[in-house]
Amino acid sequence: MAVLEELREAVLTGDKDRAVEVTRLGLETSIDPQALIDDAMIPAMDEVGRRFEEEEYFVPELLLSARAMKAALELIRPLLADTGASSRGCIVIGTVKGDLHDIGKNLVSAMFEGAGFEVVDLGSDVSPEAFVAAAREKSADLVGLSALLTVTMPSMKSTIEALEAAGLRDRVKVLVGGAPLSTDYAVEIKADAYAPNATAAVRAAQELVGGRAPCR
Amino acid sequence: MKGRTRVLSLLDGRPLDRLPLMPITMMFAADQIGVPYGRYATDHRVLVRGQIETARRFDFDHVSAISDPCREAADLGAAIEYYPDQPPAVVESKALLGEARQLARLECPDPTSAPRMADRIAALSLLRQEVGGDLLIEGWVEGPCALAANLRGINALMLDVVDEPGFVRDLCAFCVELALLFARAQVEAGADLIGIGDAAASLVGPARYEELVFPEEQRLIEGIHALGARTRLHICGRTRRLLRQLARLGTDILDLDWMVPIEEARAACGPEQVLLGNIDPVALLRGGTPAGVREGLGDCHAAAGGRYIVGAGCEVVRDTPLPNLLAMVEYARAHGGRAGPGSHP
Ligand code: B12
Repeated sequence: MAVLEELREAVLTGDKDRAVEVTRLGLETSIDPQALIDDAMIPAMDEVGRRFEEEEYFVPELLLSARAMKAALELIRPLLADTGASSRGCIVIGTVKGDLHDIGKNLVSAMFEGAGFEVVDLGSDVSPEAFVAAAREKSADLVGLSALLTVTMPSMKSTIEALEAAGLRDRVKVLVGGAPLSTDYAVEIKADAYAPNATAAVRAAQELVGGRAPCR
Repeated sequence: MKGRTRVLSLLDGRPLDRLPLMPITMMFAADQIGVPYGRYATDHRVLVRGQIETARRFDFDHVSAISDPCREAADLGAAIEYYPDQPPAVVESKALLGEARQLARLECPDPTSAPRMADRIAALSLLRQEVGGDLLIEGWVEGPCALAANLRGINALMLDVVDEPGFVRDLCAFCVELALLFARAQVEAGADLIGIGDAAASLVGPARYEELVFPEEQRLIEGIHALGARTRLHICGRTRRLLRQLARLGTDILDLDWMVPIEEARAACGPEQVLLGNIDPVALLRGGTPAGVREGLGDCHAAAGGRYIVGAGCEVVRDTPLPNLLAMVEYARAHGGRAGPGSHP
């Protein structure tokens, strides 16, 4: 119990060294590794997201917390592979064509990893063709699209159409996000879901594709 | 009253005939003259034509040499990607300062001979020749945090502010050295005012802003004043929590993004500060109606009281419907400016 609370605190304050230390301690005392993620890290990142919305936290704090979480995960991941509960599915993510904003996308990507998904991050300014190629090659369960510019939102639509044209649309779910987006827009372009922030993105991904196979 | 006189009258507290109008246009201006943005950003003659044409069509009080955040970074040797119809952008994966210690080897180029900075300086000379005295001529430099982000990579810089504050301080100081050299050359070429864009500063939060960015922005503003020019500070994004500090910077114009309630800015800055802005450029100016634009500006104006300049929270985006922009123009035309500190219009 104390371990979970301490890990939560370490991630919340972005203290990487402490997060690693507490995780090691937890694993030695044979706490369920999955509980470290579900009951400490995810709730911590939820709170980080909330503080960001409230303008108590800013981008450095977001990145520090994500870094602390990732460092702790390095220790946990091999153990999850042992128990067979390895991946929860394969996600291909990127910022769409014409758009270079990647801070938010990087966070979402880190959170997906945190939640146990395997993530293929294609970076920013990613063409519809590149999304299609990666989704096919990795046999992705979900494609995450990020856009921060109003003028690049149509690239999301063309990416979804390209997935359709490639015959992949019934096999991959599409999750969209980025500051100028909305649920209405997601519906309009036939995405499966929209999430306003990184923790909501994890929840949406779990609902859409939780428990699938890792990337190929 | 000519645009230049109008803006300077407001800044100097003299009477003026109507509210000054100074929205930021870049891609919108290139579209006005039907030239792909890649050429607008890289050929000063195109930029000048776009700015003058746009200012004439919409009765703006100023013309500006702003185009993209990469001019300084490009001339320092950063990897830049050029696009046919978009602003050039730094390639973050090949950041110039991939290693922090590379800063020690960085030297300021001479802005008058470094290609991308010289192109902006040429734009200002040409603007002075074409519209000098009529319209206010605005030069542009990257602020310390924005340029630091362009050189180091914004994702890395955001961790550096916590891990290596000393490095960030040195880097921002270097950025201000260059900004001041660049500003001097622009003022000599004809700029009346230097705009400072410091987008990344909105991301670090008040404590780190105060410690690392504020002193350098202040030094930059003082340095530009010493050159005999005015300043306009524009920080994209959420700066609500920075207002107390922004109030102390001494910038002639504080240009606010739409997420910042103007009444809070007025309360924090006091009656003397000239405020500019700040309707939502995307949801309202591009996506709304002329009536909505008028109403939005009315709210901003009422909240700002006197010493107010009409504009959007950020760049007027591409594809903004003309009737909406014209509603903004009409708003400025229809309202008397207040030179002195005022409570309500
Ligand atoms: C940093 C920044 C930049 C940096 C980007 C550096 C980088 N590597 O990312 C630079 C300087 C390069 C830049 C350039 C430009 N920018 Co900019 N930029 C910003 C700024 C200040 C912050 C964005 C940010 O990182 N926020 C923090 C992160 C954590 O939030 P987020 O991205 O929203 O992500 C969260 C959610 O949206 C969600 N999410 C994000 N992605 C995804 C994906 C999925 C799948 C899901 C589910 C969720 C999700 O989760 C995240 C975490 O909670 C914003 C203003 C602002 N404060 O919002 C402007 C802003 C986004 N930029 C803007 C503009 C116009 C530009 C330029 C066109 C300016 C110009 N003329 O040069 C260029 C365009 C370059 C290009 N082609 O992309 C406008 C966009 C307006 C619009 N709606 O169209 C903004 C809003 C500024 C403004 N007020 O006008 N910019």
